[in-house]
Amino acid sequence: MSAVITGMGVVSALGSGVDAFASGLASGVNACAMHEFSLFGGQKRRAPAYMAAPADAKGLIEPRKLRRMDRLIRMCAVSARQALKQAGLDPSTFDASRLGVVFGTAYGALGTTQEFIDSWLKNGERHASPLAFMSSVHGIIASQIALDIGAVGVNLTLAQRDISFEAALATAIELLEQGKADALLVGGADELTSMLHEFANHFRYVERSAVAGADPWSKRGRVVPGDGAAVLLLEREGTPRKALARVHKARVGRWDVGPRAGALPQALAGFDIDRIDLVTTSRAGSANSAPLEAARERALDAALGRLLPKLTHRGNFGNFPAAGALQAAANVLMLQGQVFAPLAGGKPRTDLVGALKAPRCVLHDAASMTGSHAAYVMSAI
Amino acid sequence: MNKRVAITGLGFCGAVGNGVAALRHALKSGESGLKPLTLFDSELAGEYPVGQYAGDLAQDFRTRKRPLKPRELARLSRSDLLAMVATAECLSHARLSAAELGAAGAGVYLGQSVCGTYNSELRYIECVREAAQRGHASSRNLSALYVHEGANSCDAIAREFELAGPFASFMTACSSGANAIGLAAQQISAGKADVMVAGGADSLSRIAYLGFHCLGVMSPEGPRPFDAHRKGMCVGEGAGMLVLESEAHATQRRAKILGWLSGYGHTCDSHHLTAPHPEGTGAIGAMRLALADARLGAADIGYVSAHGTGTLDNDKVESIAIARVFGERAVPVSSTKRLFGHTLAASGAIKAIICLLALQDKSLPANFGLNTPQDNALDLLAQTRSAPKLKHAISNSFGFGGNNAALVFSEGP
Repeated sequence: MSAVITGMGVVSALGSGVDAFASGLASGVNACAMHEFSLFGGQKRRAPAYMAAPADAKGLIEPRKLRRMDRLIRMCAVSARQALKQAGLDPSTFDASRLGVVFGTAYGALGTTQEFIDSWLKNGERHASPLAFMSSVHGIIASQIALDIGAVGVNLTLAQRDISFEAALATAIELLEQGKADALLVGGADELTSMLHEFANHFRYVERSAVAGADPWSKRGRVVPGDGAAVLLLEREGTPRKALARVHKARVGRWDVGPRAGALPQALAGFDIDRIDLVTTSRAGSANSAPLEAARERALDAALGRLLPKLTHRGNFGNFPAAGALQAAANVLMLQGQVFAPLAGGKPRTDLVGALKAPRCVLHDAASMTGSHAAYVMSAI
Repeated sequence: MNKRVAITGLGFCGAVGNGVAALRHALKSGESGLKPLTLFDSELAGEYPVGQYAGDLAQDFRTRKRPLKPRELARLSRSDLLAMVATAECLSHARLSAAELGAAGAGVYLGQSVCGTYNSELRYIECVREAAQRGHASSRNLSALYVHEGANSCDAIAREFELAGPFASFMTACSSGANAIGLAAQQISAGKADVMVAGGADSLSRIAYLGFHCLGVMSPEGPRPFDAHRKGMCVGEGAGMLVLESEAHATQRRAKILGWLSGYGHTCDSHHLTAPHPEGTGAIGAMRLALADARLGAADIGYVSAHGTGTLDNDKVESIAIARVFGERAVPVSSTKRLFGHTLAASGAIKAIICLLALQDKSLPANFGLNTPQDNALDLLAQTRSAPKLKHAISNSFGFGGNNAALVFSEGP
């Protein structure tokens, strides 16, 4: 079974909205900048990052509602509203029981969780912040979006590290296939906080020096982190709304146990792989991840039986666990007729796109260092 | 569901002990595991009891499967260990070897909410203290924040038990475990997997303990669900894990089928971040969807395992919802949270096991802590009741964000 994407929303370092995202990718905007992060000791550290632009909620979410949302929720809720608006789906006139939300996030409301702990450390255990507690729950993203749009159908949040979005997408397609919903807002989001940056820096995972941008093809470097949210409105085939792209299959598996085949064979089973003309990956390019990424690319080449261009746009919007959602939005845009040369170190890798025409069918492959793996196939309408 | 799903293994760990036998004993004896909090220091510890697991989880895992190396233990949270201990039991109960799991392409779906925060919050607090004293956080504490990630338990189970199939961590607050089981069953029913390990696990944590306190919903005397004089809930910890199999797979390997998962319903209130919809619309919807999924009518259900946290609002709304779906005093109802507290994401999974035990033993657990029923709408089980004709039971799980899940279980062959 396949499903169609009828709307998209993005809040990223390239701006708020799909137009900003598309034009930023097309013109090779380098959104990497030096940002200030606070350390536990109160010191400040400047480091490169792709921090998402403020979510522009104008005309999408009432200020009254917006005030109750933290930064992460705002990114997600605004992206969801953008997707509905692009699709022309008015949730107030849609059967609310058939409209749902499936979201992937590795860290959830990390900033608000920290705020809750700080509230009792500062004010005493009897005076912890109830608002921060309510908003710190990991599944709060999907709930907040449902609360905003009035959806009473399926409501799930998944946490699956670097394949959090892809796991949400696989779950959403299955739910549509089983007839559990007619339309699902499928998204991914993560927030870069100072604490997360300090933690990642401790493991020498993130870049500290003033680099021009992330280089996912580097085998020695560190990643340049980012944050943001992207949402796809996924509907069953036959929807009256205009389809932007089609998702054929999405599968989740593991590469670290069993036959080490991961999700790829299942994602490709029964699909005419000759149709695939582009591969996108979750390549980050750090010294730690490079061996896995090289192995994944060999597995892809073997599965496809030929060499295809392999792109990742984490040099455009940064690296974070749910960045797969932004890559999916980029893939939809490419399937609509554009090819985006990915950035590496702030410079476009035009050599990777070469004579590549607008793709008609994209295979996406994502893997995490901890063994999880996901793959999906998306095609042009 | 397109096809009913067999349940062939159960695993439990919680305040009343380690193992399904300990749970079964508590359900019969009514001995509560609620005690004063000792897991961590808190100025509220003497005021609000908790459902704290008293055993040594590393030792339990050694007994059930293998010793864990110190390096492995350092990367596992208390939630991870609870989940792993219960998983080891359910796989042993199902008599499934690693080779069989591999051949079946078995997967794991886990529901969590607190995840590794018992460990990570302590490290965070230590980081804050170190920074205040020395100007920076130590490497030891920063490294240990690793356990915060929500996917840790699911990853640990998949690696340990070599489950290469579908896997996911679902975070829908206190309905997580029920949703994980329902979604895993759908994988099997849809023919995408033959074997799934599914359930929920959550440990106690400062965040949960102080969080529910600041919401004003904790009871100093333990929960008394559906009682007119109830004062609130108690936080607990635990894990419930089930082995789900396709009927063909279970039959082919001659597994003992403990019962069937025959229906799953899931809705969202879209009403409030923590409070349930006052008319119980979402809860009603989840129960009706589960019944429809099972192709059963309300009259077919012989027992409702209520979410029944013991808070004023939740029990009131659940009572309205149950009465609306099944009729007033039409079906026996009980909540068992006085035995081990509200185990959050594990709650729905533990209640799944309770339903299966009820179906096997033909015995309905009492609504422990009930003295004066809140109203006349429900047939609340003041005591354990024999139910020789019990064929189907439903379990409710409701979570923050208005997330509702209901599972229908049916007696085995």
